[in-house]
Amino acid sequence: MSTKKVTGFKYFLWILPFMVLVFLFSYFPLHGWIYAFYDYKPPRPLSKCEFVGLHWFEMLFSNETQVSQLIQVMKNTFAMSILGIATSILPLFFAIFLNEIKNKKFRTFVQTFTTLPNFISWVLVFSVAFALFSSGGMVNYVLMNLGILKEPVKFLDSDSYTYLKMVLWSMWKGLGWGSIIYLSSIAGIDQELYEAASIDGAGRFQKMRYITIPELMPTFFVMLMMAVSNFLNNGMDQYYVFQNSFNKEHIQVLDLYVYNIGMTGSSYSLATAISMLKSVISVALLTVCNLVSKGVRGETII
Amino acid sequence: MKRRLGCLALSGIMAASLLSGCGAESKAADVASAGGDYSKELILDVYDDFANYNGEQTGWFAKVIKDKFNIKLNIIAPNVAGGGDTLYQTRTAAGDLGDLILVGTTNGRLDDLIDSGLVIDMSDYLKGKEVLDTYKDAIDAANEGHDGIYAMPYSVSTDPATEPGESTEPTFGPYVRWDYYAELGYPEVKDLDGLLDMLEKMQKLAREKEGKDDIYAMSFFKDWDGNMMNNAKQPCCMYGYDELGFVLSKFDGSEDISILDEKSPYLDVLRLFYEANKRGLVDPDSTTQNFDIMSSKYSEGKILFCPWPWASKSYFNTVDNVAEGKGYEMIPIKDMKIFSYGAHPLGDTNRAIAIGSQAEDPQRIADFIEWLYTPEGVECNEQGNGSAGPKGLTWDLDDEGKPYLTEFGKKALPSNSVDVPDEWGGGSWKDGVSALNFQCVNLSDPDADAGGAKYDYTTWDSYLADAETPLQRDWSEHMDGARTTMEYLKKNDMLGVAPGSAYTTPAEDSNISTIRAQVKTTIVDGSWKMIFAKSDAEFENYKKEMIKTAKGLGFDDCLKIDMQNAKDQTEARKEAAELGK
Repeated sequence: MSTKKVTGFKYFLWILPFMVLVFLFSYFPLHGWIYAFYDYKPPRPLSKCEFVGLHWFEMLFSNETQVSQLIQVMKNTFAMSILGIATSILPLFFAIFLNEIKNKKFRTFVQTFTTLPNFISWVLVFSVAFALFSSGGMVNYVLMNLGILKEPVKFLDSDSYTYLKMVLWSMWKGLGWGSIIYLSSIAGIDQELYEAASIDGAGRFQKMRYITIPELMPTFFVMLMMAVSNFLNNGMDQYYVFQNSFNKEHIQVLDLYVYNIGMTGSSYSLATAISMLKSVISVALLTVCNLVSKGVRGETII
Repeated sequence: MKRRLGCLALSGIMAASLLSGCGAESKAADVASAGGDYSKELILDVYDDFANYNGEQTGWFAKVIKDKFNIKLNIIAPNVAGGGDTLYQTRTAAGDLGDLILVGTTNGRLDDLIDSGLVIDMSDYLKGKEVLDTYKDAIDAANEGHDGIYAMPYSVSTDPATEPGESTEPTFGPYVRWDYYAELGYPEVKDLDGLLDMLEKMQKLAREKEGKDDIYAMSFFKDWDGNMMNNAKQPCCMYGYDELGFVLSKFDGSEDISILDEKSPYLDVLRLFYEANKRGLVDPDSTTQNFDIMSSKYSEGKILFCPWPWASKSYFNTVDNVAEGKGYEMIPIKDMKIFSYGAHPLGDTNRAIAIGSQAEDPQRIADFIEWLYTPEGVECNEQGNGSAGPKGLTWDLDDEGKPYLTEFGKKALPSNSVDVPDEWGGGSWKDGVSALNFQCVNLSDPDADAGGAKYDYTTWDSYLADAETPLQRDWSEHMDGARTTMEYLKKNDMLGVAPGSAYTTPAEDSNISTIRAQVKTTIVDGSWKMIFAKSDAEFENYKKEMIKTAKGLGFDDCLKIDMQNAKDQTEARKEAAELGK
């Protein structure tokens, strides 16, 4: 064996543990897809369950009501994802403006303060929301004692502006965190560009407009593409904690729908079938996104 | 080079350890300790469908079983964990439900557990034990269709099936703040609409009297919603119906009606609640609160109406409150016929207790289970359901051999936060109550240790004599001199007893289960929206939408099965009633 080959083999051994990890956590679980083709009922093992072929896939489209529910769920998923993507530009501007603050102490304070919510779990966020906005919560209590309201406003248990409320909550939670990557990109921008711009007489906003933003665009597009591939996975914990009988129609996104009918409704097979469909669509979206990126910007991520 | 080799070895080990982490299963060794060697402490994982507490059993009950069997109970409660069947399914899929298993057997669950080898046949461990003779028929009924003893029965009774299973209080009933009712001049209540009018007046009175705005006639919570909204089902039960899937079935089998039928009492109740909300009688927290928050309101007496004695009387009628003349009592609604679960001479086959196949010391667990069926076991384990607790602490026998509550017992029962003496385990009485929430033997049965008096201490002569408070006396005076609620209901023929049969719903096709799960949510969500609708038009709209969606998803397919089940249940009830004669 040549030295080159031996070195190559050694390098291969270096990455082996990580390949094992990737295999174990990303590919190995895929064997669970087999449940989608069985009538699986725990505690009976799969060998004792009936093979039903594509039955569960057909069931999703079996009747009008089923389809219209699925359509509503997809509407919610798309709406929240689009709103999420539309607001993903905000961390970028937040980072740019934050960077312009010259008082270092204040800047660090703002950054820490806005990043912290990211580390609070949705369950706790909901308990904060409950304490503030439930019918006996602080906001209603104050407004009623001031005589502004007669009846408590139902912030949590009504279906008005559900999308908007959800987007605001997730923005509150994710704004600071999302801006970190842009802040580090800004730090990486060549200072000479700014100096040259100053000599040319560019003002602060012009520097932002002609240097900072264009320099941040590559990062932004990578983030955007990742967001698009996650279009259908817009999380479920947020919607799970906020859901109730009143807002379910508009809060039920695909992941939550799968959970609601699969786990609580004890149909693992159906839930597996839906999530299989979801994976397929996600891969398709990513491919499309990649193609568009290649055509428009001449860059790909895969 | 050496260093590199070390790195290689390390990465190899890493990969190996990753792989070995999965799949390695530690099979518990079968160390049977026949003859009762309890020297090693045993911690049991108890999977309990009925427990409302999650974690280690503490306090006096823990002390009793630690002393007797050297065991500790680690309770795993799906009720607390939430998420419906998720916990049951993930645990069974993993092949270990628990060491001690208390489980609902409907929908073919027990068969599933037995067929997949998750519970063991305890015949050998129970050999020669008294419980096999005493409860032979019930044990046979619990294991019908199986060879061996896999499950032990629930709520076995010596009463015939046509006798109510409840002793002094019914399971359902219109309970209100009796002190306000008295102040209103004991108005006659003809029907549910009349109840609403009365409650409106009562709410006005209570608010004026207490000077508080947060007193409401009704309060709801969502935790127990299943096939339908749980709160809205309760008034149906006051008219002799009980749910079976999407069917409301009358106690005597005379009527089985779909909950979405135009004439269904369930829809009537939704309208009633809507009306109540329109008149400002419904607690606005209802839509977001859980059972704990709601029950704390009952402890403060802030909600005037309650469909259950155990959520109102048990929480609010403390010694102090009753002494002040405050308390919840049942009022008669002229046309009511309260559903009552009949006694189960063969045990209630909807629930069972079993030993898990991965249990470490099945002999000791079997000993423990047997103990639960002995007088001492019933007195201690079922205290949370209404028995008296350990003899010598809360109660004792007088010179004539009749039971009475000790001073401590009077303070501690039914479940008050009273400090327990250290030799009995310390801690608070309330926290020490058995969390199993499983009645092996019905509380109306005679207790051999108490001279044949019933396990339910509220039926003891000494207790009834002591319980003569002004509140109780006032209530009794206006209720034809009845001493207990059940006595009044029986006398006035307001009780519809469904004979206690050995019927359990059979396993269901998973196609139907899936449809059912979706229909359930549709009905529950729709019901909540209807009650809190802003106008009659909106109410009708939600109703129409709910029925349309439910039917579109396949409501009728589920209903067909439920109707058949209801018929079978009625047959089984008739059979059980015949058997008792």
